[in-house]
Amino acid sequence: MLEQTKVVMRLDGVPDHHRLDVYEANGGYAALRKAIKEMKPDEVIDEVKASGLRGKGGAGFPAGLKWSFVPKDHPGPKYLACNADEGEPGTFKDRWILEHNPHQMIEGCIIAAYAVGLSHIYVYCRGEFYRGKEMIRQAAEEAYARGYLGENILGSGFSTDLTVHTGAGSYECGEETALLTSLEGGRGHPKMKPPFPASEGAWRKPTVINNVETLATVPEIIRRGAAWHAGLGTEKSKGIKMVCISGHVEKPGNYEVELGVPALAIINDLAGGVRGGRALKGFFPGGSSTPVLPASKAGVGYDYESIAEAGSMLGSGALIVFDDQTDVVRMAEVITRFYAWESCGKCTPCREGTRWMLQIYERILNGAGRLEDLDLLLSICDHIEFKSFCPFGDATVGVVRSTINLWRDEYEDYIRNHKVYKRKFMPVKH
Amino acid sequence: MAEQRLNPELEKWVKERMARYPTKRSLLVPTLLEAQKYHGHISPALAEAIGALLETTPRDVLSVASFYTLVHKHPVGKHVIQLCHNVSCFLNGCDDIAAYIEEKLGIKAGETTEDGKFTFITVECLAACDCGPVMLVDEKLYESVTPQTVDRALAEAN
Repeated sequence: MLEQTKVVMRLDGVPDHHRLDVYEANGGYAALRKAIKEMKPDEVIDEVKASGLRGKGGAGFPAGLKWSFVPKDHPGPKYLACNADEGEPGTFKDRWILEHNPHQMIEGCIIAAYAVGLSHIYVYCRGEFYRGKEMIRQAAEEAYARGYLGENILGSGFSTDLTVHTGAGSYECGEETALLTSLEGGRGHPKMKPPFPASEGAWRKPTVINNVETLATVPEIIRRGAAWHAGLGTEKSKGIKMVCISGHVEKPGNYEVELGVPALAIINDLAGGVRGGRALKGFFPGGSSTPVLPASKAGVGYDYESIAEAGSMLGSGALIVFDDQTDVVRMAEVITRFYAWESCGKCTPCREGTRWMLQIYERILNGAGRLEDLDLLLSICDHIEFKSFCPFGDATVGVVRSTINLWRDEYEDYIRNHKVYKRKFMPVKH
Repeated sequence: MAEQRLNPELEKWVKERMARYPTKRSLLVPTLLEAQKYHGHISPALAEAIGALLETTPRDVLSVASFYTLVHKHPVGKHVIQLCHNVSCFLNGCDDIAAYIEEKLGIKAGETTEDGKFTFITVECLAACDCGPVMLVDEKLYESVTPQTVDRALAEAN
């Protein structure tokens, strides 16, 4: 029976642990004191590097390495953008952290700012998180009042500020350079890399961008040491990950596990298995952007390398489970509509390709599909992938390709029999 | 174009935050959201006033406004219902809830009731996929939505 390994969720169940006094009574801000009073900034970076911590927003890039890219001698301000623009369908871990454990994230932000020498922290929070924004604002106020933020933190001479910045509804703004464009007041379009944000980011100043969950892991690494963290997980995927399970399971929710445990154990032992005793048909291992895996691959280890070997990605850690009654063609249309409507429009392959794919899906579901549409869809995927500025384009093709490859017969059933999907409503772009 | 004055509360809200950013324009996206609380939607006249405050052009304000789904570019009802229609909510039957809301309000997704009370739209993932279907009514999130939840939410908003 798989057990959770709670690190970011370590205070889950402790009443009111979003409050500073409760958080402090449970070891909160001890890591910040340790970092500031006992460690030099470089030692903090080395500790995070040695821990093997990887970015938990989707890309899995080593966090310590990212911090070390910021030029030390750069004159003027440098920034931290905490990415709380959680928009990947199936993902709801950052919302939990913002609402339930905001201080652990803030503590991680301050430690990162101290390590890299960052003068201002912007928490870019998605617009729809009305409660999350309020919780993080209250927590920041408490942290200011206690001297953890602002001038001369804990008498160290180090100062940093924190501002909660709201988005206004855009999936693309979760991409790091688009997030910066939005922070500067623009449409959320990605920027060319290089220059990378570490050397030229927000307002053209060096900027570190880390996901909420990544930053919320940092205090425990400082408090318990790099070796503790590096001892968890697999050789290449070290540590733990919050997994968001949704869809057709008995107990959907957030669970935190050691990387490398079998996906099927997460589904069965933690989430109570497929709902209503039905059979598992397939699952998205890491959000709607990751190719679907069939039930036969559910034994895969839940770590970056094993999932890649199985043909998909760990992504943001969103396990979306669907049962044997699921209409995968309609499910793929739902997700393709999402990408078509949320594409920022900057790159032609993504902007036009997603809309074209959506038209084809609508045609198939209306009973007017053509057999050659399936190869056409696959060909459009080939022309979108790797041809856009940011990973959005690549993200759009996963569900289309994988569902056609795995369940081509279901697509053909729609087409050959002119089967019509009976819509209950028709969404309209707002 | 008739000149529009910004609500003084909104202006105060913006000015209090200016010192936290290197440029005034950085406040544009949050200002658009805040402005809707006082002015309903972002009209061209309002864009002119916001542009003047944040030292950018009205065209830039409207261009940015058009990018974000929470920013209303045309008049909406007193209350805005946003139902998630993305994958996890789809797997949990959000289509039935959408149909129920349409029937109950007598409008289609994207429309506003004749009395101007409710606008109903369906939106992308609200990051509460463990409790699908989910719905925002104005700023309040409703989870595991059933027809009864819809009835209650509409009554609460009224």
